[in-house]
Amino acid sequence: MALQLTPKDFATATPSWWCPGCGDFGVLSALKQAMADLGKVPKDVAFVSGIGCSGKISGYLHSYAFHGVHGRALPVATAVKLANKDLTVIAAGGDGDGYAIGAGHFLHAVRRNPDITYIVMDNQTYGLTKGQSSPTSQAGYVTGTSPQGNPDAPINGLGVALAAGGTFLARGFSAHPKILVDLIKQAVQHKGFSIVEVMSPCVTFNKINTYAWFKETTYYVTDDPGYDATNRAQAFDVLNLDGKMPLGVLYRDSRATLEELSHIPEIPVAHANLDAHAPELASIMDSYR
Amino acid sequence: MKVDSHVPGWETQLIVNDIEIMFGGQAGDGSLTTGDLIAGVFKRMGLEVYTYKDFPSRIRGGHTNYVIRAGERPNYGMADLVDGLVAFDLEAVEAHIDELRPGGFVIFDNTSDQLTDAVKRSDISWYEVPLAKIAKVDLGLELVRNTISLGVLGALVGMDPEIMRAEVAGVYKRKGEKVVALNVRAIEAGENYVKEHFAEWPSGYDLQARADGDRLIMMGNDAIGYGALVAGCRFMAGYPITPATDVLEWMAKYAPKFGGVAVQAEDELAAINMVIGAAFTGVRAMTATSGPGQALMTEGIGLAGVLEIPVVIVECARAGPSTGMPTKTEQSNLNHLIFSGHGEIPRMVLAPGTVEDSFYLTVAAFNLAEKYQCPVFILSEQALCQSKATLPRLDLSRVEVDRGKLVVDPVVFGEYKRFAFSDDGVSPRVIPGVEGGMHLAAGSEHNDAGVITESAKNRTRMMDKRMRKLESAKADLPQPLLHGDPRAEIGIIGYGSNRGPIVEAQERMARDGLATRFLELRTLWPFPEDEVRDFISDAKHVFVVENNFTGQLERLIRYVVGPLDRMHSVRKYNGRPYRPIEVIEAIEEHAGIRPMVRVR
Repeated sequence: MALQLTPKDFATATPSWWCPGCGDFGVLSALKQAMADLGKVPKDVAFVSGIGCSGKISGYLHSYAFHGVHGRALPVATAVKLANKDLTVIAAGGDGDGYAIGAGHFLHAVRRNPDITYIVMDNQTYGLTKGQSSPTSQAGYVTGTSPQGNPDAPINGLGVALAAGGTFLARGFSAHPKILVDLIKQAVQHKGFSIVEVMSPCVTFNKINTYAWFKETTYYVTDDPGYDATNRAQAFDVLNLDGKMPLGVLYRDSRATLEELSHIPEIPVAHANLDAHAPELASIMDSYR
Repeated sequence: MKVDSHVPGWETQLIVNDIEIMFGGQAGDGSLTTGDLIAGVFKRMGLEVYTYKDFPSRIRGGHTNYVIRAGERPNYGMADLVDGLVAFDLEAVEAHIDELRPGGFVIFDNTSDQLTDAVKRSDISWYEVPLAKIAKVDLGLELVRNTISLGVLGALVGMDPEIMRAEVAGVYKRKGEKVVALNVRAIEAGENYVKEHFAEWPSGYDLQARADGDRLIMMGNDAIGYGALVAGCRFMAGYPITPATDVLEWMAKYAPKFGGVAVQAEDELAAINMVIGAAFTGVRAMTATSGPGQALMTEGIGLAGVLEIPVVIVECARAGPSTGMPTKTEQSNLNHLIFSGHGEIPRMVLAPGTVEDSFYLTVAAFNLAEKYQCPVFILSEQALCQSKATLPRLDLSRVEVDRGKLVVDPVVFGEYKRFAFSDDGVSPRVIPGVEGGMHLAAGSEHNDAGVITESAKNRTRMMDKRMRKLESAKADLPQPLLHGDPRAEIGIIGYGSNRGPIVEAQERMARDGLATRFLELRTLWPFPEDEVRDFISDAKHVFVVENNFTGQLERLIRYVVGPLDRMHSVRKYNGRPYRPIEVIEAIEEHAGIRPMVRVR
């Protein structure tokens, strides 16, 4: 019987670069708690992040962590899972990483349904470049690059994912750690591509979407006894509410994963036999005779 | 032996076992299948074969042609001129009539188009056959006109009738016995037409079967796919792009049979990042692309360099820039592979010159990538990667999988450092799942333990460490090949698909008394500085032969080795591969050498 690990076992010695009060702290601690609760061990966790304030999170989770280029966390994470299905694979990044520069990959990860978890840390601004508008910024949001107000409508990431065939959509709030831990745990346990969008306020640059604002605007779908998270139409409805932001598990569904449909073998691809002198390899030449 | 041609007054030397056939028609009319069939028959007749596909970037319509060359010596390239043209329409004749050798011949389908006086050269033989009509009226299916033309061609040039039938049966086997029988009847119809109408008009060519031996006929891209699989590649991600798609298709077919997987990514950004992610877990991984995709992969390749993750990138070059000419050949991506990207990383560029070498250099690429933990490119070109050639059976006993400093046993966390400084610049590499090896692989600059830092001292040490790999790798890099007379005063430098036409040009110049030596580069980066300097030091003239506008290789030599006034740049950039005569003429013109006697 393996020793039960604690969140501390998933901590790194690296000091955080985040501003005091940043919502990302809540995401990190929830993630560590979820890993410990689920009995994961650091050596079998691959944690892939993008670029931006949120992307720095991979440096703070004791695991096989990967901090790649901007917007490409999902292709990396998808391939890690295909190459070694025995790993627990988690990707994380910000709203810019996932819904702007990496939007194409987001859509295709949803379509493919690999058995990985994607945490979108949404602060509705570009923090690391000092507060420009992001794909989830409200229209009219005034920033250095949008002095006359952001002209673009905000993207509805979970709505897009639902339309594209998403199989697990949840939204949490970094100020509600207990619930967030539960959402992440459910996401990791879900067989397929699970998305946890976490409202993670930027205390330095976003003076509109603050902790107080989120407390005003959000509600949990679990508060509505009539809410059925397996009902796609209901999920669409709450994702399109005006002025109200639903939290919790918004939708769950089940369909074959990318690994299943790719016929990934029982032995992880990363551990395949590489004997160059196998007779089956030589016999391929016969088809070129 | 002299034979009469049906061209009045024309007498021609009988040419044995030396022929270049061009099969020309509209894209989508099946000429590629028939071209493959002809190549297969030539191969089974024991001849050395090279094929070149010149097709438009569209699926239906547009002039296309397939060149099949056969002879008794390995070719790896096209001849100066075409011997026989099989033309299904007037457009094919108009497009290529000037490329025909005097004494050559045309088989023309006169069902709908008629020959015009403008094209009807008097120094070649014309065989007009209503191919489509015979197909439709006698055989009931217009599609088989290609196979009828195969019968006509076979009868005219002496293709072995039994081998032809066996080859047709092999190719159409999957479509059922009826289709095989129909195609065999089509061959007979073609042969009978020749007997009935052209018995008195020999083509002037004769093919005589030799022992086939234990040989293969393979396309360059197949050899790359096969080399990758044998070398242990078990993960491929790619995005369809001409002329590289074959490699992804090859791996999609074979990788799953050997415990691997091939993924069609949503774009090349995803493809390269998938390959990096897969390689992070320890699997040997690659992608294949062409110019436009290569441009998109540039950022990811920089990431692989700084993460010290082994990846293999196959670049099947085509004519650029932008969309350029997707189905045409060019060597204009050399600069891109060597110099692209922000920041500096160690990288290697290998360039095979034959289908056979495409296999062996692919194997080498995977070992180099893993041993030195850096991106390795395989640079091929449309005229090589989509061309078929005959080759000896590949020697798998020569293949060793060298995994370098891969660590699969537990390490002590805190002591183990993923990016440890070392004399050769290479650090022990753990993979996820290994106890104690947890670390951050960061594209941001990091210290030996993987922790992100912008320390000036660390930056210098880390850059030195990574770049040192290029020095360490020197002895492992594929060496250049020397062709011709090592003491010759005239030197030639080139790589890739130009090997074939250059070597052939050398042989012809040698027969005419002009000795040359040719340094075929197989590693282009890190540049083989010492070998090139030695080669040019005592040459009277050095010709750098390449397929681009700016003379990228010649400039690279000047950049690395230094200026040399005896160096001449030979360039071609019309999207087509060299023919030997073009190399010969370039050398005569630059060097002021006495005019050469043109040898066929």
